[in-house]
Amino acid sequence: MRECIIETQDLVHTYPTGVTALKGVNLKIYKNDKISIVGQNGSGKTTIVRHFNGLLKPTSGRVLLFGEDTTKQKIGQMARKVGYVFQNPNHQIFCTTVRDELEAAPKNFGFSEEETKKAVDEVVELMNIQSVLNTHPLTLDYTTKKIVSIASVLAYKPDVLILDEPTGGLDEPGRVMLTKIIDMMIENGHTIIMISHDMDYVAENSDRIIVMCQGEVVDDGSPEKIFLNAEVLRKAQIEPPQITQLDLYLENGYPKEAILSVSDFIKKYKNI
Amino acid sequence: MKKPIIEVKNYSFAYENTDKKVLDSVSFTINEGDFVGIIGRNKAGKSTLCESLVGLLPFTMGGSWDGEIVIDGKSLNETKGAGVTDIIGIVFQDAESQFTQETVEDEIAFAMCNFGYSRELMRERILYASEACGLRNMLDRSPFKLSGGQQQRLAIACILALQPKVIILDESTSQLDPIGRDEVFGLITKLHAAGSTVIMVDHNIEKIAEYVNKVLVLHDGKVIEFDDAGKVFQKKDKLNAHDVRVPQVTDAALQLKDKLGFKEAPITLEQAKSVFAGYKKEGK
Repeated sequence: MRECIIETQDLVHTYPTGVTALKGVNLKIYKNDKISIVGQNGSGKTTIVRHFNGLLKPTSGRVLLFGEDTTKQKIGQMARKVGYVFQNPNHQIFCTTVRDELEAAPKNFGFSEEETKKAVDEVVELMNIQSVLNTHPLTLDYTTKKIVSIASVLAYKPDVLILDEPTGGLDEPGRVMLTKIIDMMIENGHTIIMISHDMDYVAENSDRIIVMCQGEVVDDGSPEKIFLNAEVLRKAQIEPPQITQLDLYLENGYPKEAILSVSDFIKKYKNI
Repeated sequence: MKKPIIEVKNYSFAYENTDKKVLDSVSFTINEGDFVGIIGRNKAGKSTLCESLVGLLPFTMGGSWDGEIVIDGKSLNETKGAGVTDIIGIVFQDAESQFTQETVEDEIAFAMCNFGYSRELMRERILYASEACGLRNMLDRSPFKLSGGQQQRLAIACILALQPKVIILDESTSQLDPIGRDEVFGLITKLHAAGSTVIMVDHNIEKIAEYVNKVLVLHDGKVIEFDDAGKVFQKKDKLNAHDVRVPQVTDAALQLKDKLGFKEAPITLEQAKSVFAGYKKEGK
């Protein structure tokens, strides 16, 4: 049995505006999970993940991070364990060169100079951003900013990596690189939690999908199962990938499992 | 015979203080009523091309260029990029960053004020643009308190008020959720049906294939393909080699070509349903 690293118990969150964004959520996240949280805007996706690193505190209920209540831990300790890449890189970037941006978190967490250099060199190599190291990050184009914002969190290798809409504005090579990073993190025992509207990407890059709707978890399971639940998809306004929809049509709506990629589709149909 | 509205003739462009040609001898013609999707990897030159078509580059924002762009018969070289705002308008990726006014109504009026439109004409155009974009009952709202989809529709309304013949959308849906995205595609489809020429830059290949009739593929500042969408997406290997994928159903159909037997692979889900009809199960 895998270790449960994040647990929410009857989690309710009401913003100062009076909007209740989470209405009693019970959820367990296990070590090495590769999760996508999906649902329309305002469904509570961002609100829930911001409880995982203590950015938000429950209005009622509890959140346990590695078994300990998030209201009893220091924000810095939690940030070390749970890295959060914002949807909008402009909200995250604050240094004047890309190199400083990448060094900021490791230095803050007490990495030695040597360790910091090693950590930064690694992500620079991995994400192919050598050429922009001395550039002011806010002068970069949106996609490169996005990549820098991911790299700056990746640099300190948090146990849990939260990615809020990571594919927004990424082109094909950008998506391929993101996949490589996610796979590498999973292979090394980390946990990935992605928030996304990009169903093509979610279908191919999650082991588990959590569907949220109006502050509640309405479905939780493997992508092969989730994309078959027409009623939940309609309620949460989620459109499965095109290839999944084609298979659903050919199976009259009742395949055993949903097809998640073109290569799955070819495997299934090439011998018919 | 269709009338050309955009003629790009051997156009090259480099940003100020650089030698690299971001656009390199680009030539193509867009006719009135076309709906063109521009695709390509990042840094292919898509945004540079869009900003050149409206005369922002090189005439307002600088840079060196060669060749000529002609918009509805006017050469931008001769007008120095001016004089085409009532012919061609652009909506950027980040709509929020372009807003300056306190209400939706003032925001739509802003450009018209600057061009010295009469109050009567402004009133008429505000009603037209807000109606078309579904913002009629939000005229007194703050632009900054709208949802992402509503903000994009407002950015489109600001352009529509000037009644241009051509509308360019540069990654206008990439920050939106599926509902917001469908709102924008729905609106654009209506405008196209009413006769507008539309140019759309987007990474969502399936949506592009569903909506546009022509596709222009850019790579490293060069036009790789410019043809009917159905024809362009047949060239999977060529597109893949330039970091562009084809719609999922096209990819699947091309891989199963020997079994399916078709002249042209489907590029939309609806087309794919009929091409794959032989595979359909009977009953539950």
